[in-house]
Amino acid sequence: METKIDKPVFTGTDTYVLDPELAKIVNASIALEMPLLLKGEPGTGKTLLAYAIAEDLGMPLVVLNVKSSMKAVDALYQYDTLTRLNDSRFGDSKRDVSNIEDYIKMGKIGQAFTSDRRTVLLIDEIDKADSDFQDDLLDVLDQMSFDIIEIDKTIKARHRPIIIITSNSKKDLSDPFLGRCIFHHIAFPDPDMMRKIVNAHFPDIGEDIAGACIKAFYALRDIKGVEKKPATRELINWIRILLMDPDFDPEHLMKGDIPYLGVLFKKSNDYRLAQKYVSQA
Amino acid sequence: MFVDFFYILKDQGIPVSPTGFLSLQEALAKGLITSLDDLYTLARAVMIKSEKYFDMYDRVFAHYFKGAELKGPLIEEIDRAIKAMLEEWLSSPKAMADFLGMDENELKKMTPQELEEYFRKRLEEQTERHDGGNRWIGTGGTSPVGHSGFHPGGMRVGGVSMGHSAIKVALERRYKDYTKDNHLGPAQISEALRQLRNMIPAGPKDQVNIRETIYQTMKNAGEIEIVFERSLRDKLKVILMIDNGGWSMDPYIEIVQILFNHASNQFKDLKTFYFHNTIYNKVWEDPTRYHKPFYVDDFARLDPETRLIIVGDASMAPYELMSQHGSIAYNSPQTQPSIKRLEFLAKTFRHNVWLNPRKAHTWPHTETVEIIREVFPMFELTLDGLEKAVAHLMQK
Repeated sequence: METKIDKPVFTGTDTYVLDPELAKIVNASIALEMPLLLKGEPGTGKTLLAYAIAEDLGMPLVVLNVKSSMKAVDALYQYDTLTRLNDSRFGDSKRDVSNIEDYIKMGKIGQAFTSDRRTVLLIDEIDKADSDFQDDLLDVLDQMSFDIIEIDKTIKARHRPIIIITSNSKKDLSDPFLGRCIFHHIAFPDPDMMRKIVNAHFPDIGEDIAGACIKAFYALRDIKGVEKKPATRELINWIRILLMDPDFDPEHLMKGDIPYLGVLFKKSNDYRLAQKYVSQA
Repeated sequence: MFVDFFYILKDQGIPVSPTGFLSLQEALAKGLITSLDDLYTLARAVMIKSEKYFDMYDRVFAHYFKGAELKGPLIEEIDRAIKAMLEEWLSSPKAMADFLGMDENELKKMTPQELEEYFRKRLEEQTERHDGGNRWIGTGGTSPVGHSGFHPGGMRVGGVSMGHSAIKVALERRYKDYTKDNHLGPAQISEALRQLRNMIPAGPKDQVNIRETIYQTMKNAGEIEIVFERSLRDKLKVILMIDNGGWSMDPYIEIVQILFNHASNQFKDLKTFYFHNTIYNKVWEDPTRYHKPFYVDDFARLDPETRLIIVGDASMAPYELMSQHGSIAYNSPQTQPSIKRLEFLAKTFRHNVWLNPRKAHTWPHTETVEIIREVFPMFELTLDGLEKAVAHLMQK
């Protein structure tokens, strides 16, 4: 394979352990200039991937946190009519009331398009908004441009951003949208991979502690009837707390004495199930 | 390149599009694919757009590039049978051992893997199926044995480890669990229920209506006149009736529980009632069906725009539904057969659905399901069914 110098290649960062399969997909998404759509259980590092790519490639990251009530145009730009109305009445600002452009503010996608440098654009949890939102974004992401209707101006992306889109729920996005994306589903890491992830976050952690924690963690994930299983994020937080506790001893974990269950299980019912499991062990 | 591969994927029911195929060609042209591993990963990333189809992709990939047999329905059946056998074995090891003509203790010595393998062998002998080349089946890390953790050894099956060849990875069938239909978890339920709402302006006037503000300001000769209005709130009323009695609903407790939890989070105005098998003159507000009865006639006093969702398997003896004296509970004299009560409810609340946790293809086997379907539109309690039910409830 011919390597071109101007093509960025993503190799992972110190704290983000990159699965080789995912690495290929990220690089293909950059090379094919297609957005990368990531799905997977919450807490498997979908959002973190975008941060890691930005850090690794030294590009600024623009995050669009999608909200349920969001319209596509909100992500592109905003026309601040109220300020303009206010200025026209009181006229005490430096803005020029007759120039609408003074009242146009760029949304997150607008910012990514107008940035001087190439950016990584993260569209987080796109499934939160309704399907109109996705359909409206389609053309924008396809053409890499959008119109500001109020001033009849077209904003074109100066540099094509690297686009990462995450979706939490397993609900499918619309077909045309999927057609334009590269898709990957991040499976929950297996214990070996998890060990690497833990080591990346806690370089000084002892083998025995890491092993005991991971073993206990996977056993807890297998408790039947739990609605929200603890994920990587919970494990990392849990280990952080265990390490701060002066009384913590990995031996106890092995014996089934598991402290700080509340860090791992956040629904009251799940917490009860976990407690029951621990007291039986 | 790989045109056949594309068509096999399509024939197997995976929604692959020409666009995706062209993207694959582009990836090939750009030199992104230099090995079979790359092909496996990237062809999937550009062509398969849902993890539901990853498992099928794995199977097609293994078949196409190695000629591994495509797994037909027979083997699927064997998989199911093995699962059933293992469950049986868990609940009564002795009965299972007797059935197989084996010593219970001998079976107990086996690891779960051996046990599964053994069951499979027996089943395959039974169906007189040539089992050559199928050794790999069931090693996919998704076997029911590994995760229930019942075995004293506490082992876990499978797991992903990279560095395998693409075909081996494909053969691992890591995505078996994500296959269509069998996955209705909390996330999907709340997603499906989210569509069910009725937005009505309510609460304090705290939102600026920009259009109206500008209009009024102009009318006011530029003197600013800000117009406030109420924000939209969800005012949907929902009644959820759950069949929580009888062994026939037992297998579905977990899924109904999840549905109930999410419904209570989702709907501000939710009333839940419980019944056993079918509805007679009253339902209960408490799950024990003892303390707080609610008379069915009283539903006539509630808002007729309320959405009625009934969850139950609708399976019972026909007389329970059709006869005036059908109630199986002692001490509950009835004036009307249950079917009349159901018809009354369906008439009172014109937005109504019946969610049935049993699979739709089994419905025609039960007479009462068919009768109730004539009264209520019935949907499977799956993601698909739930979405259809919600769409039905939202019709004008």
